[in-house]
Amino acid sequence: MKEIYHSVKLVEENCIGCSRCMTKCPMEAIRLKNSKAVIYEEKCIDCGECIKVCQHNAHKADLDDIEAIKDFKVKVVIPSVTIYTQFGSYINPSLINEAVKSLGFDEVYDITYACDIVSEIIKKEIENTPKPVIGSFCPAVVRLIEVNYPTLIEHVIKVLTPIEVAASLIREKYAKLNYKPEDVGIFYITPCVSWITKVKNTALNRKSQINGAIPMSDIYPSLLKYVNKNKSSYTEKSTNMSYTGVLWAVSGGQCRSMEMDEFISVDGTKNVIKVLNDIENGKFRDVKYVEPYACDGGCVGGVLLVENPYNAKRIALNLNEHINFEYRFGGLSDGLKNKFTVENNINKNYDIKLADDFESAVKKMKYMNNIINSLPGNDCGQCGSPSCRAFAEDVVKGLSSLNECKFIR
Amino acid sequence: MRDEFIKLNYEIKSRDFINGGEASSCVKKALMQLGIKSAIIKRVCVACYEAEMNVVIHTLGGNMEVIIYNNKVEITMKDQGPGIGDIDLAMTEGYSTAPDEAREMGFGGGMGLPNIRKSSDEFYINSVLGEYTLVKIIINY
Repeated sequence: MKEIYHSVKLVEENCIGCSRCMTKCPMEAIRLKNSKAVIYEEKCIDCGECIKVCQHNAHKADLDDIEAIKDFKVKVVIPSVTIYTQFGSYINPSLINEAVKSLGFDEVYDITYACDIVSEIIKKEIENTPKPVIGSFCPAVVRLIEVNYPTLIEHVIKVLTPIEVAASLIREKYAKLNYKPEDVGIFYITPCVSWITKVKNTALNRKSQINGAIPMSDIYPSLLKYVNKNKSSYTEKSTNMSYTGVLWAVSGGQCRSMEMDEFISVDGTKNVIKVLNDIENGKFRDVKYVEPYACDGGCVGGVLLVENPYNAKRIALNLNEHINFEYRFGGLSDGLKNKFTVENNINKNYDIKLADDFESAVKKMKYMNNIINSLPGNDCGQCGSPSCRAFAEDVVKGLSSLNECKFIR
Repeated sequence: MRDEFIKLNYEIKSRDFINGGEASSCVKKALMQLGIKSAIIKRVCVACYEAEMNVVIHTLGGNMEVIIYNNKVEITMKDQGPGIGDIDLAMTEGYSTAPDEAREMGFGGGMGLPNIRKSSDEFYINSVLGEYTLVKIIINY
């Protein structure tokens, strides 16, 4: 199995072994060993839930420092669309872009343009994909499908995400201006940890056009200072951005921007799991598109953001009333469509089988089922596994020993 | 050792819409742990789920037995009635006897049994009116 980078890391000295993360992890990927949390990486989808629930700062994201931009001659930044929801109501997105630029970037790339390109491609590609089509924007959800729903891979829309599209367009632009690729640094300002994982993993495979992911929370104080200082003198009521693109920050926003009917937008990993289970059972065949997010409320629920996700949603939906979004996407050329439609953006690196051959797997499963029958079934967690079933699986895989359960019959 | 197999058993309760689909999800997990291919798992999921919901919607409850061999999955669903009077009619796409309660929840489209047959390689149905219905499905791989 190929090594996969994870951005969610443990800070062992901070962990007090409280088991909160273990019981809240939607993937049952966390165990307690010697009173410290351990992440089983093959199950982890980097959704960031453990970072959210830990009260002792024992789960941290592996982040890039903004200092990293100094290594490049040209520094380009792609802010996540969520950034326009973080500074209160009716702040002109152009002012926020100015604030971002003031951190030392040469260009702030407007991602809403890339969102509109992707919307148009999805509208076309939806016809060539089994229903319901599943959106591929959230890297944690894509990884969830890779790990637990291989049967649904064919439902995932075959298009790059707006961030990848933006990065590719930036690369193209600077290549035309005769810059060497290594001179141009592209950074994404991320609201969540799953994007850090995606950027770093694709970098490992040398596919990434993006050089780093900067957490929104790190630059927020500087941005807030700039916005507060300049907002009263900033009288511009229009912006050369796309309102439909801004909507990609919130759950349901993609479908709104595509003016789609018959869609499901689902947010929160546990809720996404419910929807994926139903799709796997053959339900929702009359649904065109499912827009899934691992975080509550959509990307505005990202763990690296500051604003309450539901207030952020209000801000995103209200922006259009006070700001004149001048830009409207003109239309999609075949060239753009072909460039950003991908054959397969899903890895099949995961395998949850108990053994390589059927006979050995059957033996292990019988042993596992015997263990389950002798366990109390109350998922007390004292063994260090999140449930009795998970414990039985751990024993069979040699990751736990039976005597760790104090209540076994 | 061709006789190695896993047998799973699930009790399906009448009118239990909340937990309907749970057995299907358990079967799916077992198939993944045994290393069965995705394309097969997908067909088993659909067959199990439809069979499960049929029992929830139409019957007094029943039992689902799933046996996973190294070359096929056998699903046997036996319920406690009321049985089907005209099996050919019940197998017709779009024909449904689902109560309003089930239709309001989006079930009862008359595709249950036809979808099960489509997902399976072998399909048997036997019913005695007033007593039981037995559906057996085999999916080969």
